Amino acid sequence: MSQQRISLRDPVKAAFLAWLVPGLGHYYQGRRGKALLYAICILGIYLVGFILGEGKIVYWRWVNPLSNPEKFAPHYIGQFFVGLPALPALIQGTIRHFAPDSNFLWGFMAEPSQIVLNGMILRLNKTLEIGIIYTTVAGLLNILAIYDAYEGPAYIDLDEAEAEAEAARTQASASGAKAEGAV
Amino acid sequence: MWAFSNVYWLVLPLVVAISLVYSASRHESWPRIWSRSFRLCLWILAILIGTRAILLLINTQV
Repeated sequence: MSQQRISLRDPVKAAFLAWLVPGLGHYYQGRRGKALLYAICILGIYLVGFILGEGKIVYWRWVNPLSNPEKFAPHYIGQFFVGLPALPALIQGTIRHFAPDSNFLWGFMAEPSQIVLNGMILRLNKTLEIGIIYTTVAGLLNILAIYDAYEGPAYIDLDEAEAEAEAARTQASASGAKAEGAV
Repeated sequence: MWAFSNVYWLVLPLVVAISLVYSASRHESWPRIWSRSFRLCLWILAILIGTRAILLLINTQV
């Protein structure tokens, strides 16, 4: 497998670090360039989305999606994979589930009230939706980064060159055998 | 506060980020990452613009 040519150190630890902070797993593996690229792209997209949604679009509430689909926040499933930047929402959601009147961290990343949400929908309109898309896509992109940290890249140039050389050798030997057969 | 004149401009950074991250997850060499992400970026934008043009055309004809 091509993946064995790159030192992935401890892939499980690298994958966990890649989830925790985008790019951190690659930094741990010594793939600094990729770490920077993932951090800029994923955290950048997440931050822009977070600002577009005025910091109120990353939240989680513990409800059964089948019995209460209106209250379910499916976008958090994607946002969750950004790691640490989205984790306070899960903590807030869990605390609010058991203590609804809690003011933990002054309500940072807690589920906004329906009145606030309705106001934001009216005021921000499409920008709010774009903010949700940005933050969700950031999380989904980090899944690719986590997989890259765990398994390595899908292709490596050296392998591609070797595969091409192998194909050329096979073709040459096939054409040589054909020529011998003709003689 | 964030009243953009045209929200479609917000597609651009998203497409660039998707292309870069996807290509980086597939390849390890930088020239290949840049070239593949550039190609993917163009493909996504072409598909989005094409779809938008077709939808506009349908909307104006109906």
